[in-house]
This record gives sequence, C-alpha cells and structure tokens, in this order.
Amino acid sequence: MSNSTDPNQVITQYLLGSLPEGESGRLDELSITSQEFAEVLSASEKDLIDAYVQGELSGTVLAQFESHYLASPIRRGRVEFAEAFQVFARKQSVVDDSSIRGPADLDRKQKGGLLSTLSIFGQYAVLKWGLAVAVVFFIAAGAFLLVQNARLRQQISHEQAHREELQQRETQLQKELDQQRAGNTAIEQELSQVREERVRLEEKARKSGQLPASGPAVVSFVLTPQLRSVGQAKTVSIPVNTVRVTMQLNLEPNDYQTFAVALLDQSNHQTLWRSGKLKAGSRGDDRTLKVSFSAGLLKPQGYALQVSGISANGQSEVLSDYPFKVVKY
Amino acid sequence: MASTTQKQNRSAELREQTFRRLLAWLDQGVNTNGQSYLAIRERLLGYFDRKNCLHADELADETLNRVARRLDEEGGNIETEIPAKYCYIVARFVFMEYLRTNEKKIAALDDIGRQANAISPEDRRRKERMFECLDRCSAKLEASQRELIFRYYSGEQRVKIENRRELAQTLEISVNALSIRACRIRDRLENCVKECAGHE
Repeated sequence: MSNSTDPNQVITQYLLGSLPEGESGRLDELSITSQEFAEVLSASEKDLIDAYVQGELSGTVLAQFESHYLASPIRRGRVEFAEAFQVFARKQSVVDDSSIRGPADLDRKQKGGLLSTLSIFGQYAVLKWGLAVAVVFFIAAGAFLLVQNARLRQQISHEQAHREELQQRETQLQKELDQQRAGNTAIEQELSQVREERVRLEEKARKSGQLPASGPAVVSFVLTPQLRSVGQAKTVSIPVNTVRVTMQLNLEPNDYQTFAVALLDQSNHQTLWRSGKLKAGSRGDDRTLKVSFSAGLLKPQGYALQVSGISANGQSEVLSDYPFKVVKY
Repeated sequence: MASTTQKQNRSAELREQTFRRLLAWLDQGVNTNGQSYLAIRERLLGYFDRKNCLHADELADETLNRVARRLDEEGGNIETEIPAKYCYIVARFVFMEYLRTNEKKIAALDDIGRQANAISPEDRRRKERMFECLDRCSAKLEASQRELIFRYYSGEQRVKIENRRELAQTLEISVNALSIRACRIRDRLENCVKECAGHE
C-alpha cells in the first residue's frame, strides 16, 4: 500500500505514475471493472489538470505532472482543452451569476426579502394598509413573473430539443449522402475494371484468331491543355478495331511529382476510366504524361482527359483538362 | 470478381454478427444501445494511455476484438464475474505484448512530452478553433447543464471549493454526486469539441 491514506492523494499519485506497482495494478483493474471508480478517477483527473492550468501545482507533484502526465499526446490534448475551457468558463460565469437556484434557496431568498421589508415599514401605522396592498401587488407580480419564466424556459427547452432533432437528422442525411457517393465511386471503378477486362479478352481473342484483326493495334496522339480562353477540342481519328489509344499530355508548369488522369465523357460528365498514380516524363524543358487505355471506351463524340496533381499527403488537385473529339473511320 | 465481392459481403456479415454478439454480452441482458461498449472502450483507452502506450485507441480496439473472437469461439458467452473483468484480463495481455515490441516507442513518447511547450502558429489556430467549438458545443447543452458546469468549474482554490459546496447545497445533492454530474457534462462537451475541431 502507499503511505498516503487520503483517497484523492492516492488517485493523484496513480495518475502521476508514482504509486507502487501492486497498488497501481489494483487501481488499473478498478478503473476498468468499476464504473463508480472510473467516474471518480475521471473527475479527479479533471481537477488535477485544472490545478495545473491554474498554476496551483508545485514541487514534486508539478514535476511529476510535467514529466509523466504530459508525456502522452492524449493527455496533453486534455490539458489543452482544460486551458480553453477555463477561459471560456470564466467568461460564462461573469455573464450568468445567478441562474441556478434550487427550490429551498429561492424560497429562503424570497422570505428574507419580504420579512426585512415588512420590518422596516411595519412601525408606521399610517402606511400599514397601503403597504399591505403593495405587498399583495408585489407577490402577485412575482408569481406572474415566475410563471412566465417557467413557461419561457419550457419553450426554450422545446426549441432546443427540436434543434437537436434537426441536427441529428442533418448528420444522418449527410451520412447517407456520403455512403451513396462512396457507392457511386465503387461502381465507377468496377465499370472501368469490367471494360478493361472486356478489352483484354477481346485482344486475347484477336490474338488467337477468334476475332478479325483489322486496323492498327495502338494509335497515339499528343494533347495540349485547354486554355482559359475558348479553344477548340483536338479531333482524333481512330480506325475502327483499334485496340488501345495512347495519349501524350503536355503538362503546364506545376510543382507536383505524382499525377492521376481520368477520362471523362463530356456529354454526361461521367468518369469512364481512371489511371493509377503516374510520374511525369520529360521532353526538353517540358514535362509530359503518357496514358494508355482501351479504344473500346471511345465513341464518336467529345471527351476530356482530366489531369490531377497528387501531393505527398495524398490530396489531389485538378490541374488541367485536355478535351478531344473522337472520329472513327 | 463476383466471387470476391461475395466473399467480402460474407466477411462483412460475419464481422457484424460478431460485433452484435459482443454488444449483447457487454449489455448483460439490458439493451443499452451500445453505451456499455462505448463505456468499456473509453475505460480501456484510459488504461492504455495511463500506461503511456502510443496509439492507445488501437490497443483498446485490439482488446475488444480479441474478446469478440473469444466470444465467437465460446458461442456467445464467456465464464467470468463481469464482462469488464474479462476485458481487463485481455487488456493486460495486450499491454504486455505491446511492452515486448514497443520499448523504443515509449522512450520516444517521453521525448515528445518534453517538447510540448513551444507554441506554433498552428497551435494558435487550433486554440482559436477550439474556442469556436466550445461556443458551439456549449450551446448544444441544456441550459441547466450549461449553468451547472460553468458554475462548478468557476473560481480558483478556496473560492472554487466554496462555489461547489454552495452549488451542491442548492441542488440538494452531495459534493461527490455533483462532481460526477459535472464531470459527465464536461466529458460530453470535450468530446463534442474534439469532434468539432477535428472537422475543420
């Protein structure tokens, strides 16, 4: 057992990692198995943090707090919250100093006020009746205000409940929307994979002679980014039965090292294909990206290849669109 | 590909079934809508954090995953005094395993602690954000809870103690009961602020 018999002190030592191992183990167990102890521990921890924030700790306790307690990022987060919370609580307590009053307290206050008023004026017989009328009036007015107050509190509480309900609904709807978006992305990816798979099988069939092979296997084009001013999309002519299309995209100057490219259908803005992460190649001073995808994805209409830069932390930013129009012959 | 999707679906169903079994076991016949699970997870997280483990939340989850797997093996019940006691036993094993593999990380954690005093512009922005969130989250509390918590935590040293004694008298409850009540409200507020500040 520890030398200290004060439960608060024992808990403080436990939180500061200075209890002997046996006793610390006993409190470890209690902190998980006993809800009551877990709550006392949590309250004591908050008091300890607050004491630190308010500069009330000193000597060994302060040293242990700084060397042991502040060693964990989670606990430092609690201290950070306590600092903010105390500043906030100080402001709040200045604004509202007298809202919570229990029934006994309220009763005591009212009686005290009334008795002292009567004792001052009671000696004057001339004012006796007038005073009585005034007292009745004040009591009635007080009762009316109390009722009004209760009604307003009830109204506020209803409105709060309604607001919370709306907030919950908003969160739920947002969640559903996110799930649907995630579902759409998964479908797009699956569609792209299915298309790739189909093209792969077609190629295989072509190689084994099951499908006629006419036209070139691969056609290549060079695309430049769309300028801010009006620009005409480049027309690319693709022979029917072309297997793959390779596009070289000349990049505008940027700082990204990694890129991703998506093929967009301009008629409905659907993503038909996405590349993996790509590195830029260089041609003289210019940087270029080369992408290759199945010719089967393209019909005679307008498309755009959209290039995004991917930062080191994985976030992507759309850099340029490369519009083109397909003609098949 | 279709068979992969089917396998994934089956695996998700199994995970859900295991999780539901864990919730039911922790509830011990009283449906708490997951509150027992959240409470035990919070306590496990505190346990690992007090042991200075990095990623205490992952260790808390690992503990509950092991308990859930054992529950599956035992057909939904484990012989123990109370579920929390069994969770504690598993948590101790998880901690001992962690100690064997992570000694260096614990040392590194102490170093982080000593560097905690410098205030960067990012810290300042985070604090500003925290004030905004405190404002928003305290508005979500019921008026009586808001008043209680701000009165409970106002003042310093003797003034604070006197405030609390008066408040307990006013509410006709003991100082201990008041401290637990205030602590629960502060926990709610802190969690709300954490969530709010995390969604910048």
